[in-house]
Amino acid sequence: MRPPVYALVGTPNCGKSTLFNALTGLNQKIGNYPGVTVEKHEGTAYSQHGQPMTVIDLPGAYSLAARAPDEAVLRDVLLGRRADTPQPDRIICIVDATNLERNLYLVHQVLDLGRPVILVLNMMDLAAQSGLRLRLGRMEQALGIPVIPCVAINGTGLIELKLAMSRHDLPLSRHNWDVPAPIAAAVTELQASLTNHDGKQPLIARAEALLLLTDRDSVRVAGSTPLHPRTAEILRQWQQRWAAEGTDWAETLVNARHQSIARLCANLVEQPGVAPNGRSVSDRIDAIATHPWWGWVVFLGVMAAMFFSIFTLAEYPMNWIDGRMAALADGVKHLLAPGDLRDLLTDGVIGGVGAVLVFLPQIMLLFFFIGLLESTGYMARAAFFMDRLMGRVGLNGRAFIPLLSSHACAIPGIMATRTIEDKRDRLTTILVAPLMSCSARLPVFLLMIAALVPGDRVPVVTKVGLILFMYTLGAVGAFGFAWLFKRTLLQGAPSPMILEMPPYRVPALPAVVRQMWERAWAFLHSAGTVILGISIVLWFLTAYPKAPAGATPGAQLAHSYAGQAGHLLEPVIKPLGFDWQIGIGLVTSMAAREVFVSTMGVVFNAQTDNQDTTPLRQALRQATWPDGRPLFTPLTCFTLMIYYVFAMQCLSTLAVVRRETGSWKWPAFQLVYMTGTAWVVCLVIYHGGRALGF
Amino acid sequence: MNATLQTVIALAAVVLAVAWLGWRAIARRGQPGGGCACPTDPFKARLKR
Repeated sequence: MRPPVYALVGTPNCGKSTLFNALTGLNQKIGNYPGVTVEKHEGTAYSQHGQPMTVIDLPGAYSLAARAPDEAVLRDVLLGRRADTPQPDRIICIVDATNLERNLYLVHQVLDLGRPVILVLNMMDLAAQSGLRLRLGRMEQALGIPVIPCVAINGTGLIELKLAMSRHDLPLSRHNWDVPAPIAAAVTELQASLTNHDGKQPLIARAEALLLLTDRDSVRVAGSTPLHPRTAEILRQWQQRWAAEGTDWAETLVNARHQSIARLCANLVEQPGVAPNGRSVSDRIDAIATHPWWGWVVFLGVMAAMFFSIFTLAEYPMNWIDGRMAALADGVKHLLAPGDLRDLLTDGVIGGVGAVLVFLPQIMLLFFFIGLLESTGYMARAAFFMDRLMGRVGLNGRAFIPLLSSHACAIPGIMATRTIEDKRDRLTTILVAPLMSCSARLPVFLLMIAALVPGDRVPVVTKVGLILFMYTLGAVGAFGFAWLFKRTLLQGAPSPMILEMPPYRVPALPAVVRQMWERAWAFLHSAGTVILGISIVLWFLTAYPKAPAGATPGAQLAHSYAGQAGHLLEPVIKPLGFDWQIGIGLVTSMAAREVFVSTMGVVFNAQTDNQDTTPLRQALRQATWPDGRPLFTPLTCFTLMIYYVFAMQCLSTLAVVRRETGSWKWPAFQLVYMTGTAWVVCLVIYHGGRALGF
Repeated sequence: MNATLQTVIALAAVVLAVAWLGWRAIARRGQPGGGCACPTDPFKARLKR
């Protein structure tokens, strides 16, 4: 017998994923902003008797009438329309206790499904702080289902929830509401057809009938079972009849539901009024954080402080890792006689993996600060005032979260575009998302800044300024191209964004640290697997075929397979100030951008024959063109950073764009427009810079 | 360790690395971020669970 299946259902940002993690012990990403969950996730929880229970975390929605693909996933799973997911036996509805009336609309629809439901009132602490008094006993009586107060973030109420989940005799809701009489006939006819032709249980069929009648522009997603032609025909006939009569029964139905909820809430919620001054702490902070001008000052200040901390705090652990790597390479050199294995270990493994590992402290700090900002609720404010700018360039307000996620990695960012209902808006966001500087670009930027501004002579402010410039340039590029695409290829008015502003909260440090550790572990795992593998292969490509005996290390590299490939590419990139050695890095970093750093580690280590290992940053500063000119001039380093801002250097992102758009046309277009832009911009900057004497 | 033995071990490591990278790319086809090498891809960590 399969374990009972529980679905976690609720509005966006009501704490579903936090509760899912608490129930299952998994580490699903959470954040204090809506739209974090765009796919369903499954886990296992255990009842008080140790029996396994499947828990499905579903994307948040305000209603079962889906307007976006992620909301359609929720609707289709609950209605049993998906072959890949079992229909839930029981449903856990999570609502934000501070916002009961708005959250109950979805609960009201879920109760129609005729499944056992547990209602979890999350954020009870915040409700109490804001003076709300919820009559839980009356709520249980009125709805006829267990109602559990909870603070998911610290585990309060979790035991009570697990006890309720362990009950075999979960009651069905006594919930009843009056469907307006004139459309009751339509509901009955559709219900009968859904039962007879679509094989639905009567109560599910009734809920679906109500939904179909209010669903003006239902979104269909791949993997969902379509309606039986007969049911679709009945629906069409009723809609046509009402259209001819000029009656909007959908609106009547929605209003009837709202009235039913309002009556319910009037008896259940006591709100003794707002604070004496009428403004909460969140309101007072928001007066500045979402102000049209001060908002920008706060945003830029927060970003500058974040990068300043990253540079200053990470310096010591970075130097320590750098020193340990050099000592390790020197140890191997003294232990082994000259030969291929020694070269593989020092140039390939330690040179390649070590060059990337050095940036671990900065990556960890970046994600720690991003986690803090998400957890406090500040990110939703950033989305709010960014919406004005995005609206001007024609981007959908909902594009903010995908674009923000793309700062970590474009892949989850592109997947998060599923929350955007309009296809053209969604495609525009997908096309520009990889322009937002992802964390894989960070090691490249940091290496170039280290080579560009040597030593401790340059103040941290300059480095912070350069990084901020690169991040801003990526965002400006994304907005600029979105503006262009919305006026040419993908014309259409942008849809407005509905964003619930969460209250500011004290950051949940354990969740922030766990998220940071998860990213750090993924980074370490990648360095120990993919980057190690690529570094080993790259070492071979730089070491073979062997040059005639007596050749210098530089001549050997030029003679190697990698050198030959680099030379083949050089005519294309030489106008940008890049030589064939950089060309090798540009090719290998298509696997992942930070592979550029490990490639430079392998390529430049392979050319040193001294006994002591030179740090990569120093090796880059010593590298020259054949005529003796320095290769990594400040202008070249700057141009290379600009190249990485714009170029589409990620095969995995292209594969995901192919999957999300269903065609190779868009990823091919993305590759051409992004890399083409990178080439042209770099050409202008390099030659402009040289003309100005840099 | 003499130079020939070093070469044999190094080349064996290269063959293993190529085989593993190839197998990984094939095995991850169709997954979100299939074959993604990006170190900070949060989906990758979830997929393994």
